[in-house]
This record gives sequence, C-alpha cells and structure tokens, in this order.
Amino acid sequence: MSVDVLSRLQDLTGDPYSYARAWKGRTGGKVMGFYCHYAPEEIIHAAGALPVRITGENRVISDSGAHLQSYCCSLARTGLDMALGGDLDVLDGTVFVHTCDTMQRLSDIWRLDAGFDAHFDVVLPGRMEGDSSREYLYQELGSFRDRTGEYLGPVDDEALKRSIGIHNRNRVLLEEMYRLRRQDPGVLPSDEVLMVVAASAIMDKEEHNALLEELLGTLETRLSGGGPPPQSSLCKGEEKEEKIRLFGIGSVMDQWEFLRMVEDAGGTIVDDDFCTGHRCAGAVAPEGPDPIESITARIWDGALCPCKHAMSRDRAGYLLERITGSGAKGVLFFQFKFCEPHAFDYPHVKKALDEHGIPSLHLEIEQGSVSIPRLRTRVEALLETMRGA
Amino acid sequence: MTVAGVDIGSNTAKAVIMDNGDILATSLIMTGHQSRLAGRRALDLALREAGLEEGDIALIVATGYGRLTTDFTDQKVTEITCHAKGAHSVQPEARTVIDLGGQDSKVIAVGENGKVVDFVMNDKCAAGTGRFLEVMAAALEIELDNMGEVSLESESPASISSVCTVFAESEVVSRVAEGTNKMDIVAGIHQAIASRIYAMTVRVPFKEKVIMTGGVARNIGVVRALEKRLETSLVVPEMPQHMGALGAAIIAEERAGA
Repeated sequence: MSVDVLSRLQDLTGDPYSYARAWKGRTGGKVMGFYCHYAPEEIIHAAGALPVRITGENRVISDSGAHLQSYCCSLARTGLDMALGGDLDVLDGTVFVHTCDTMQRLSDIWRLDAGFDAHFDVVLPGRMEGDSSREYLYQELGSFRDRTGEYLGPVDDEALKRSIGIHNRNRVLLEEMYRLRRQDPGVLPSDEVLMVVAASAIMDKEEHNALLEELLGTLETRLSGGGPPPQSSLCKGEEKEEKIRLFGIGSVMDQWEFLRMVEDAGGTIVDDDFCTGHRCAGAVAPEGPDPIESITARIWDGALCPCKHAMSRDRAGYLLERITGSGAKGVLFFQFKFCEPHAFDYPHVKKALDEHGIPSLHLEIEQGSVSIPRLRTRVEALLETMRGA
Repeated sequence: MTVAGVDIGSNTAKAVIMDNGDILATSLIMTGHQSRLAGRRALDLALREAGLEEGDIALIVATGYGRLTTDFTDQKVTEITCHAKGAHSVQPEARTVIDLGGQDSKVIAVGENGKVVDFVMNDKCAAGTGRFLEVMAAALEIELDNMGEVSLESESPASISSVCTVFAESEVVSRVAEGTNKMDIVAGIHQAIASRIYAMTVRVPFKEKVIMTGGVARNIGVVRALEKRLETSLVVPEMPQHMGALGAAIIAEERAGA
C-alpha cells in the first residue's frame, strides 16, 4: 500500500501544482502560494483556501533576470521566473513572510509584476525573543487573519482551531516518520522522506494526514520485520556495509537526484534541519482558547530559521543535540549560493562541529545548475574520510 | 603482489603499476572525449611497459572524475583520498596537498597517517587550473611548458584582477594591446592563480609542509607565486601528475593485502 502512497507523492513533487489545479477545479476554492515554513498556513486553510508552497525549481532563468540581480538566490530567481512565465497561474494570491532581504524585496517585485489577485506580507520580528517581539508577532498574525479575511472570507475562532488541530496532526505524523527513520534509516530512503514532507506543503493537509497514517503503518510493519525488507539500508555490492548516517543542514531541499546519489554513494541523511524537512515537523501549536496565541506559540517556540536571531537560543548547540540524537556521524551543509542567513551561520556551526570531531561538508548549489557528478566526488570523499580510507 | 591505480582526469589519464611498494611502470596520455577508453589505454600502456598482462594484476583501483564510468577496475576511490595517499607516500611530513589539475583545484588537509582530514574543492570555474593556463598560453602565443620559466624573468608582474578564464583572457588581450611585456603578463597570471588558491588554503586551513600535485605543479612560475603568497616553500614531487594514480595503487595494495 505504501508503495502507492509513495509513488503518488513522487508524482506530486514532480509536478507540484497539478494537485492545486485539480483541487481548485474540484472545490472552486482559492489557492494561496507561500515561500516560507513560517507562513501561518492554519489561517489560510481555515479561510477555505489551499496553501501551496513555492520552492523554485531547476530551470534556466529567463524573465526574472530583468528584475533580480544574479546575486539573489536561485530560490527567489527561479520562483519569480515561474510566476512571470505563467507557471504559477493556479495561484490566486501569495503570502510573503519576511525572512531575509531577498525575500522582502522579492515580495515587492512580485506584488508589482507577478499579476496575482492578492498579495500579503507577514512581517515577522527579526529577533525572536523578548516580550515586545512576541507581542508584535501576535499582533501581526492577528492582522494577517483580518487582512486575508477581507479577500478569502472571515475566519472565525472555531474554524481556526479546527485548522490548527489538522496542522498539528500533520506535524506529529511527520515527526513520527522522522523518529522511525532515526530508529532504522533503511525503512525509507532520504529522498522519499523529504518528498513526503514536500507533499505536505502542496496538498490538502487532511488528505496528507491520511496518506501519512497509511505510510507510517507500513513503516512500522517493516521495522518489526513483517513487511518487505528495507530496500535501501545497505550499500550495493558484495560487502554489505551499513550506510553512514549524515545530518543535513540547509533551507530548501528539493534535489531528489542529489539525495539518491548520497544513498547510492553509501550515505543517508537520517535527519535534517531543512526548512522543507524537519522544520515542518514536531513543534505543534498548543491548543487553547485563543487560536492566534496558539500559532504565535508555535512559531515562537519552533525550530529557529537562520534568518531569525535569538541570543538566548544557541543554534549550534541545538543542532549538535539533534545530530547526536539522530546517530549521525557527519554533516552535509546544503546551501543555496547567495543565501546570506545560512552563510552567516556556517562558520559558527562548523566550528562547533569541529570542536566535537564531527566531520562535515559544505556544498553550495543553485537550482538549475546542479551537477551531480561534481557533488558526488565531494560526498564520496567525505564518506571515505569517515570510513577511515 | 602486483596492483594498479588508474587516474582518469579531465585532461590526462594516468596509470601506476606497483609491486610490493615499488613502482614498476607509469603512463600518461591525453584523456580526449572518451574517458572510459582513456583509462583503459593508460592501463594497457603501463602494463606493456612493465611487461605484464591484466591477469597479473591483483587489484585495480580507479580514481579521477572518469572513475565512475570504468568497467575494468575493481574499486573506485575519489581523487581527494588518492592524492592525499599518493602525496603522503612521497612526502610523509606533508600536511597540506594543493592539487591543481586540468579542470579543478583542491586543497586537502592530510593527517599523520596520510588520511584526509578536510578538503576544499573548486570545480565550478577554471580559475587556477591547467585549462586556465592553456587558454592564457594560447592568448599570449607561447608554449604552455615555457610559461613558468618565462614568468621568472619578470621584474614587475602585470596586474590581472580577474581569475575567471573568460574575463582574464580579455584582460590579458588588453594588456597585450597596451604593450605590456609577455613575461610580466604571465607573471601576473601566476600571481592571480596564487591569490585564488591562497583563498582556498585559508578555508582548510593549511599547515606545513605543503606539497603540490597535479599538472600545474610542473609550472615553476605558479609554484614560486604560491610560495610567495603562502610564505612557505612547496614540495613538488618528481611526478606531480601521477600522485592520484599512485595513491590509487597504494590503496589497491592495502586492500588486496587485507
């Protein structure tokens, strides 16, 4: 059964907007695009719209070259190119969350030139600590609810609480998938894990929850030895070696061929801090009388993006704990070229890894010009080093 | 026990045949457009020189960017691990390997045991590679092999600000048009390469001794410019281009004996 679930999710991630088109045809509802995992999807969902994540794609830049300099990340440039080229015509509007400078400026260009009906900004505080910042976040989310309400229709507390429940369930199920993988990475290769997470951001959450439940059932059966053997926990060849556990750090991870190459080379990304990965799992919105307060708490206490700052939260310490907990023996930094927030974080995190003797590899990519053989040499060299070659 | 290492690089394919730690034969040919065949030809050439047949070889290890497409080798190991191994065998005190090949450049930190500690690799642009020097030699109408010696005669190297092959070429053409001496332009090119590689060594970071491998190590001008920039002397082995194949052969020996 899970094979069907996985092939369905693979088809979806191969053509991410086909689902939204079908959904729109079926329900007549509005489709709202968003870039960042901080976007309050619950509010969009509660208004009866479908939130769909935009993550750019591997494409050669054409139209967006006139609007964005080449020193902007490929996530922004390919995404805008898709919008200007009509590939995102299924969207009725877009929600931009202020993370980095590029995203904020992209929002302006998008509002003026992309030609969608609706456009919303959610300006998060840059510093995610202190009472005034938290109060500001609460007010901003409330304002977003009011502003979207004018376009999508008002969102009452009960509808929002129901949406929070559905989204919380999704995060719990995704966390469970990660837990099972940490237990035995062979139950599901890393490309499929990240495809499952990617699908959660482009399809109706209730439907995704149902697929996830089915998938988790199969994974548990596999783990208990009842199902078909894990297909990919061991390397190819006569000498069956267990794959080396790696931890992935980066923003968007949509390079399925890269992930399959890592698996083929004898490694596996057992856990991650990708914003299209584990950052979408885990932290739930505590359910209470005020749903905006619930969403505020989720964003406030959830995984911290490198775009955000908090003196009281040591990102390197957080990552070290996650790396150790996952059993990973090495780290892959998978970074978009020109992604300043991640680049600023890198030296600090790398130093902490070095101090703890955790080998790491920094890979810089741009969507549209990913050369797998070049990356393979680096990944293989890291794995050889870790095996003590 | 006789083993072989085959290094299929972007520009040249190399083979080293070893027997109980002694090098029996080596070969070096141009890779051309069919890297798989180049590896085969390099191995055959070395076998012929050693008076051996493939059946005499206990284990063949392939490395270099063409390693993945070979079908005649037993194991494949990255050129990063192999260069470290090869360099360590000729200079056990080396803690940093600078490998400037035909198409990429690498800086590798090596442990006391010859194992890779860390590395950085540039294979996105041709800056600092053999291909870069080939283009510059063509633009200046001088022999590639003479570039090193020519540059040593320069007393005031020209400033070449770009290390992008395309932009540097147009900069070089501008210098030629201005009437700048060839020796000064070549020395400027070597300095530009040294600056670029220096930036990579800082990321590892480099420790002495430093050994230089790859085809560019045959260019004495680049070696001197790097020594000046790094403020240390470089060890250049007798056969810098064969260090990857040598490392592959040593790994083959270790694995065949294991």
